[in-house]
Amino acid sequence: MIAFYRTLLCLYPAEYRKRFGEEMLAVLFQEHEENAKRRWRNRIRLVLRETAGLLKGAFHEHFRMITEIQEELSFVTGRFAMRNGFRFPKSTIFFMAIILGGVLTAIKKGEDIATSVPHDIGPIAPIHIQPVHSILLGGMPLFFAFFYAAGLIGWAILFALRRSGVHRLDSMSLTQK
Amino acid sequence: METLPLTEPVVLILLSLAGQAQHGYAILKDVEAMSNGRVVLSTGTLYGALRRLLEDDWIERFEEEESPRGRQAYRLTPQGRRNLQLEIQRMKHITRLASLRVTRQES
Repeated sequence: MIAFYRTLLCLYPAEYRKRFGEEMLAVLFQEHEENAKRRWRNRIRLVLRETAGLLKGAFHEHFRMITEIQEELSFVTGRFAMRNGFRFPKSTIFFMAIILGGVLTAIKKGEDIATSVPHDIGPIAPIHIQPVHSILLGGMPLFFAFFYAAGLIGWAILFALRRSGVHRLDSMSLTQK
Repeated sequence: METLPLTEPVVLILLSLAGQAQHGYAILKDVEAMSNGRVVLSTGTLYGALRRLLEDDWIERFEEEESPRGRQAYRLTPQGRRNLQLEIQRMKHITRLASLRVTRQES
């Protein structure tokens, strides 16, 4: 069972694991030792509670690192609140610029389509020509989806290369302790 | 205080450390006992709260002297104690107010 918990602890961020991992394992070990003589129902309840707690904790710690939101103590009960002084990630500016670029490109593309369609076709115009706004409406979500995906992939690469600033800020807060 | 009111688990963790320094497992058991089994924290939740309290300087971590493997324990900082007292005062005020209003209503 401890091996299972150890695996779940691997889901936590590395810094967190280094700081609390062994201690958490010791607590889990003590709990299981104490529950070893109890009824199987109690033991299953303990495993479920601890598994859920570890998964929730790992998710929360990653969420905190990624969003860089300094949550209030109320997170224990599942409520999140931002502090006045929460940090706005610098990388967001870069991704916002990418998204803006995507929007501008989509507008430009729309304008190109609009100018390419003759306005005074008259009665000989083929019936199947779609109006410009319908082409735009169909294409825009695709453009947005593409640039959002590109932004996310870019951010993931930065995060993996430890260049997103998240790791640096986290290690800064650890060294200040 | 922008951090008040505190949630029940956090109040119980702080109360557990108010009497004496405790290690993680002792805090878990103490919280459960104080709440008559109503609040049962998982290890993940407890350490999430401890991490937050450490970052806010409400508690501090130290190595227990007489522990076999250099076990880490936690204790309240003066700031943490002050905040706990503020929370208790707030609770007292609410309780007093509630009993006054309820008594008036019943009479």
